[in-house]
Amino acid sequence: MQDILRYGVILSFFVCLVSLTILVVKTISFGRRTFHAEPAGKGSRGIWYAFTRGMMPWEKESARKHLAAYFAGILYHLGIFSALFYLLILIIPFRISLYLSYFVCGAISIGLACGLGLLARRIFLPYMRKISCMDDYGANILVNLFLILVLADIFLREPRSILFLVTMVLFLYIPVGKIRHCFFFFYSRALFGLFFGRRNILPQRRVI
Amino acid sequence: MSKQKSGKDSLEERLGNLEPEDLKHALRLFQEKIHHEYASYLHSCVRCGLCSDSCHYYLTDKEIKSLPAYKLNLIARVFKKYFTLAGKSIPKWIDSRHFNQKMVEEWVDTLFGRCTLCGRCALNCTMGINIPYLIRMARSVLVDLGLVPPGLQSTVNTALRTGNNMGIAKEDWIETVEWLEEELQAEVNDPEAGLPMDKKGTKILYTVNPREPMFFPLSILAVAKIFYAAGESWTFSSENYDVTNYGLYSGDDEAAGEMSDRLLRSLKKLESRILVLAECGHGFNSNRWEAPEWLRKKYGLSVKSILQVVADYIREERIMLDSSQNPKVITLHDPCNLVRLGGIVEEQRFILRHAASKFVEMTPNREKNFCCGGGGGQLAMTRFASRRLHAGKIKAEQIRKTGAEIVVAPCHNCIDQLMELNKHYELGVEIKTVCEIAANALVIN
Repeated sequence: MQDILRYGVILSFFVCLVSLTILVVKTISFGRRTFHAEPAGKGSRGIWYAFTRGMMPWEKESARKHLAAYFAGILYHLGIFSALFYLLILIIPFRISLYLSYFVCGAISIGLACGLGLLARRIFLPYMRKISCMDDYGANILVNLFLILVLADIFLREPRSILFLVTMVLFLYIPVGKIRHCFFFFYSRALFGLFFGRRNILPQRRVI
Repeated sequence: MSKQKSGKDSLEERLGNLEPEDLKHALRLFQEKIHHEYASYLHSCVRCGLCSDSCHYYLTDKEIKSLPAYKLNLIARVFKKYFTLAGKSIPKWIDSRHFNQKMVEEWVDTLFGRCTLCGRCALNCTMGINIPYLIRMARSVLVDLGLVPPGLQSTVNTALRTGNNMGIAKEDWIETVEWLEEELQAEVNDPEAGLPMDKKGTKILYTVNPREPMFFPLSILAVAKIFYAAGESWTFSSENYDVTNYGLYSGDDEAAGEMSDRLLRSLKKLESRILVLAECGHGFNSNRWEAPEWLRKKYGLSVKSILQVVADYIREERIMLDSSQNPKVITLHDPCNLVRLGGIVEEQRFILRHAASKFVEMTPNREKNFCCGGGGGQLAMTRFASRRLHAGKIKAEQIRKTGAEIVVAPCHNCIDQLMELNKHYELGVEIKTVCEIAANALVIN
């Protein structure tokens, strides 16, 4: 049974990849944009900035003012990627060092705590509640459940079948709801960098 | 031609008279205007809420409709409903919505009435979503439905009809410049000093905000004095001199393109080499960055802000400034379209450091500045005036904290708003342009 579910996880992963690819193709099919204005800076520098300094709290006021949510978000994602790494070990068994396994366990545990914290933030802050839809809660709960099941598997070696089932649902849900940002984050952030880089705004090359 | 351009009924009437065909037409336009960038942005928002403290509207009224994520999602909801499978299949779960009359009403009230397109939310967005450009795109859909708030639309119409947004007659413009020429000659004690009009083959074609000849002629005189001191080759055009472009704010690409193209045509007709834009935030963003996109052509010539030109004069020692001529404490307001969206950040500071003895920065400043509340066409939309003044509270507090006696703003839109804030919040400051400060410090031998 577990072998069938393991193949189910692999299949759902590929379905997710194909669906995301279709989504990207559809996004691109809305039409490319050609720039005509003479650039004042380099788009590539802007893109580099967007993924590095531009995400730091000292550079971004929103991160600075919401420091707890900002770090919770980072740790949550670190936990998710660690859990996906653990899942990979379950699917394609290979050995990892003891230290790495401690790190994975720690990251998933902290990630889960942060995920629950972010869920609480969405539920208890009035303005967050007002901008949220079911997808926001659903996606968070689904991912948290995935993290819980991964932790259960690490410590109890069960219930693996349920973990595989939830993972399949998670993979299938990614292109449907907000978790699609796992791809669009990179897409949008690069466009952000391109915009501000071309205009020599972020980062700024000395002009005077 | 949109309904609004030809019709005279009120915005409320037009909203009430929307027909299913109008909405279908608007959706077709919506689809046409979305390119891959906008589509990516519309897929990206995770409603993390970190943008909340970046918007001067939300910070001052705490209304959910002022939250950038809320404004963005007004557009995203429609996008998801019509252009995504999930939005069509599980609308309640995804929160996708029909583009119906209620939604249109909310677009008008929120996207026109609660946003200055200042871009501060974009800078602070976790995903990097260019929210003001999405909002402008949504506004452009409303243009074709004739749903631009009347004050803003009439400003666009006046500019298209008369060549400038104040409807100044050509004779009045020429007369004002002649009067200013006499003033300049008296001030520099040189009967040869001039404000050239329609002079061919000059290096610079200089444009102004029509509010300058109408209400602030001294800011034109200040620039003329600087050109005189630098020995510059420059001219005005008697026909097309309006740097402003309210099409940027209304979302009307066609009108905006036409307004910018007029300047370009004048430049070519007069055989000038550089289009120099007066101190005007949105005028700079429009003519430097957006116009080539609206017109879908590379300009192949230089478009500069007067601030770049004056900073170059100082650097090249073409003009000399005496900072002791401006002894009062001066602070600088960073217009969003010039700085955060335009990239002119250090030039004005460079000028002020040479022209004023006590220059203090606001906090935050440069591309992280707060909008004064006058952008996005808000000054033209009287129906949203109370919101605009309320949202300006952040800027008023910033100014007060500096202890400055003079606020310098390189934008006449901002100056208008700052003058209102000055009165409303009893700031007791003078408001000037950068060139006025520089001209006051000029050393003319």
